[in-house]
Amino acid sequence: MVKLTTILILLFSFSAFAQMNFCTNELETFPTRSGGRIKPLYVLATDTIKFISGETKVDELSATEAFCKLSLKAFGMPLELPIKVRVDHVEVKKLLGIKDSDHSIPVNDALAKLDVLETELAKQKENNSFKKEMTKVKQRLDAYRAIIDARLWTVPAPKGNDVEFISLGEFLTETKIASAREKSDNPVNFLFAEAKEHFVKVKGDDYLLELRYFKLNLFLWAMLATILSLGLFVALKNKWPGTIFTILTIAVQVTAVIMRVMISGRGPVTNMYETVMFSGLGALVIACIISLIRKEIAFVIAGLCYNVLSLMMMKFANGMLDEGISPLVPVLRDNFWLSTHVTTVILSYAALSLSWLIANGLMIRDRFFKVSPAEYRYGVDLIYTCIKCGVILLATGIILGGVWADYSWGRFWGWDPKETWSLIVLLVYIAILHGKSTSWIPPHRFVPLVAGAFMTVMMAWFGVNYILASGLHSYGFSEGGAIFLGSFFAIQIAVLILGTAKRKTA
Amino acid sequence: MRNCRPFMDTIIAYYRKIELFFGNLKFAVVIITAFTICLGYGTFMESYHGTEYANRLVYKSLIFMGIQFCMFLSIFFATLIRLPPKKHLYGFYVIHAGLLTLFAGSFITYQSGIDGTLTLAPNQPNRKIQLSDDEFKIQFPSKGKEVSVDLPFVSWPKDLNVEYEGIKLKTFLPFAKNEMNWTPVKIQDESQTSSQYRIFNDNFGEFISLSLHPKSDFNNTLQLGPLNVHYMPSNLSACFIANTPDGIIIWNGETTECISPLPDAIKKKKHNNGKILAEVNFLGTKILFMPEMSPLPLDKKFELNEKSPFRVFSKKLFEKNPHLFLFGKHVAFFNKNTLVWEGQPIEVNQEVALPWMGFKVKLLEHRLDAYPTMTPTYVKPIQENSEIIEGNMKALEVELEGQTFWVTSAEPIAYNLNDERIRFEIGKKLLTLPYELVLDQFKMDTDPGTTTPASFESYITLFKGNKGSTKHHVFMNNPLKHENFTFYQASYFQTQSGPYGSVLSVNFDPGRPWKYLGSLLLVLGSIWHYFLRRRHLAKPGAKNG
Repeated sequence: MVKLTTILILLFSFSAFAQMNFCTNELETFPTRSGGRIKPLYVLATDTIKFISGETKVDELSATEAFCKLSLKAFGMPLELPIKVRVDHVEVKKLLGIKDSDHSIPVNDALAKLDVLETELAKQKENNSFKKEMTKVKQRLDAYRAIIDARLWTVPAPKGNDVEFISLGEFLTETKIASAREKSDNPVNFLFAEAKEHFVKVKGDDYLLELRYFKLNLFLWAMLATILSLGLFVALKNKWPGTIFTILTIAVQVTAVIMRVMISGRGPVTNMYETVMFSGLGALVIACIISLIRKEIAFVIAGLCYNVLSLMMMKFANGMLDEGISPLVPVLRDNFWLSTHVTTVILSYAALSLSWLIANGLMIRDRFFKVSPAEYRYGVDLIYTCIKCGVILLATGIILGGVWADYSWGRFWGWDPKETWSLIVLLVYIAILHGKSTSWIPPHRFVPLVAGAFMTVMMAWFGVNYILASGLHSYGFSEGGAIFLGSFFAIQIAVLILGTAKRKTA
Repeated sequence: MRNCRPFMDTIIAYYRKIELFFGNLKFAVVIITAFTICLGYGTFMESYHGTEYANRLVYKSLIFMGIQFCMFLSIFFATLIRLPPKKHLYGFYVIHAGLLTLFAGSFITYQSGIDGTLTLAPNQPNRKIQLSDDEFKIQFPSKGKEVSVDLPFVSWPKDLNVEYEGIKLKTFLPFAKNEMNWTPVKIQDESQTSSQYRIFNDNFGEFISLSLHPKSDFNNTLQLGPLNVHYMPSNLSACFIANTPDGIIIWNGETTECISPLPDAIKKKKHNNGKILAEVNFLGTKILFMPEMSPLPLDKKFELNEKSPFRVFSKKLFEKNPHLFLFGKHVAFFNKNTLVWEGQPIEVNQEVALPWMGFKVKLLEHRLDAYPTMTPTYVKPIQENSEIIEGNMKALEVELEGQTFWVTSAEPIAYNLNDERIRFEIGKKLLTLPYELVLDQFKMDTDPGTTTPASFESYITLFKGNKGSTKHHVFMNNPLKHENFTFYQASYFQTQSGPYGSVLSVNFDPGRPWKYLGSLLLVLGSIWHYFLRRRHLAKPGAKNG
């Protein structure tokens, strides 16, 4: 190892590396394997740098360049990058000596305090937010160390007619570099080009679709198109411009979803990020279909509003929604059931989200503007349409889930929290629908009830994963959503209080 | 007949009232709301206390079943009062028929279904399915007899009041943890003390209880990571603190007296077998021993004397690794830094620094009048990271010959009654299959380059007695179906010898066809009811036509 390091230091620092500028963005297309999947280096580098620092760049360097340069530290390259480790929790900041106003710490400072972090971690018995954040910071430091030890970056090396992934440390051997030097002035680049060529020859270049998917940033374009269509619907009397941009939004999102399906090879509903993604698109499509049937543009506007919310969550709520594509747990590896049960349930949530938006909109309009009884009744009818659609989809989704559970686990129903909460959602909406036919739920109670009922959807969707975190659906459990959910409940309750206050005083 | 009419009219009037009460929409709203609240409560209970607790407290409780029965009545009478059939309610009838069918299917499953697990160790046939119900077994091995008592499916302690051949089964605790209690001793003995200590440093802390009393549930030695802790009679402390060149201690186990002789007090010579033979005077008694061979002294024939109360050992054995010797109110240890044996008295609530990683020991309690025992106590289970960390034990109080003791699910216990050995055990009910399954191979694939499981697969041979055998491949989403039973890949485990075993979930569900039919009717009925019966309000201000 000492010999190898010496040779590489000589090789890199004094001549070859200085001239060849090996760590460029051209490496983005290089195939690597991480987390059980083959992906372009761009994806691994961006995901890892983002996980460590919360940023996709280090100083002026792209994630790929920074990742590459950090990996070369394993070979004794004397370079320091100003990479910082993200820390969000106030107590963890105190522990690591970070100012309250800062959200990160230089990696070397963090590494120097690793023992303090580990000691405090060992002391914590309760799995609270402090412990979870310390664990995350430690994982970030572990990821950093895996990069600088050249362990994280795996390289496809020829193995007969196949390919074997080995770490960068194992790939760049003294012999290989010496032999490559005879063929090229730029031996490292030569070796990488050779490895990539062999990989593409054996496995093809399908993995590059993931690079295109991330580079195209289609969901950002979809968000812009959605906002534009909303603006056009509100600003213009002519509905065609808004309609055209709505169709464009759907087309862009469908393309992005198809690309994601092609990359992962499965239905687009396997983690919280994907369910939010699918629900936004689903709500818009359902809204358009209902709108066509009922010839009412309000559905499309509700669908667009919900789609913007979903796309914003996907873009900005990185702490709770992981954009990455990971292999599935064994029980989910059934595309038929995954594509039927989960999508149906998410589509039902999408339909119910339309009722939620229209109900809140109607309640707020009624509170601050004049809404005639006829308009109010009409609004109630629109909400009713969305609920009917949502209830049928949800009942179907729950039953499909029961059939899948029967097929996979041997029982149709097991009172698992995820399935129980989806039943709670169904029952709440059914109780509202039944109550609507009695004197108990007249229109002025129906609207706030529907607005509030969506909290059960959020509980079933996010609460089981982020708050309850128990049961057989543990593959969906995640961190960081409790604050989001708490904020949602607080805002919705505030809107309900505000919206119903007028009725009481009237 | 004429006299019967008013009676019949009254009955019919009452029936109409019942029908209208249960079939009322408001009753439906109330019962759906009650059901929903129970469900929500159940999910939180499951999150905090685990699946079994939630099942016992909510999902399989009488109250919850009562609510479900009321829902059934609500659906049934709501349909009945809307008869004879009306065209615009066809969808409604189908939905409600679907729900009633679902209820019927679930009831059949509840009454006659079987749900259990089959654990298959590699190449070992098994035909016993472990069910989820608990039972208490009383075994009489000499008579070859076994008696089982079903334990109630409750979430709180319950008195059983069951008696069998003088064995009284008293309180059943469905969730319990062992709690330490001090049991008074009849005769106080200095050599049977018990103490509680806390061993801690800045990062770690552990409460330990040690006892020399023969009836105590606690031992006199334990291991905390690399640290070995020994609890000994207080008389021995002086011998451990004494620093003699040989480090030899001679101990009389009966009187608990000890000496730590100096080298010139030990006469050494070579025995015929080449080993050193040592002789020492222990308070007037000559003791011969071979320190390199055994802690037992030798008798006159130079053979190891197992009956002798004397033991000889060298403290050098305890100098290599961390050993802490506790003598109630004294502490001793070998300090590797100073290379001497150190020790000091310790009072209750006093701390003594130890020479390992900043550890300290604190005496919390020292008792001569009582010894510590473990008694199962009811506790609500606590779940963390999908694992039960407290309360994962069941216990039953048993009275026999006037003596009361606890049997727990942690381990069976044996009792001698009139020279007959009786074995008590709390375990799961077992169901024996008429055929055997053998795990030929368990295969677990991981995602490339990771240790994350990608698939679990069991290669199984099914032996059907005279009908021969068949090979099967069971994996996630691909169960084995045989004679109405379905075997699903559920889990796996690693055996002590290395290879993996497989856990199959086993299911027999006679209500399945009804549940499927009910589901289909429910979905079709919903579509029919809500979509084929479309009536929408016109937009205010829109022109008619």
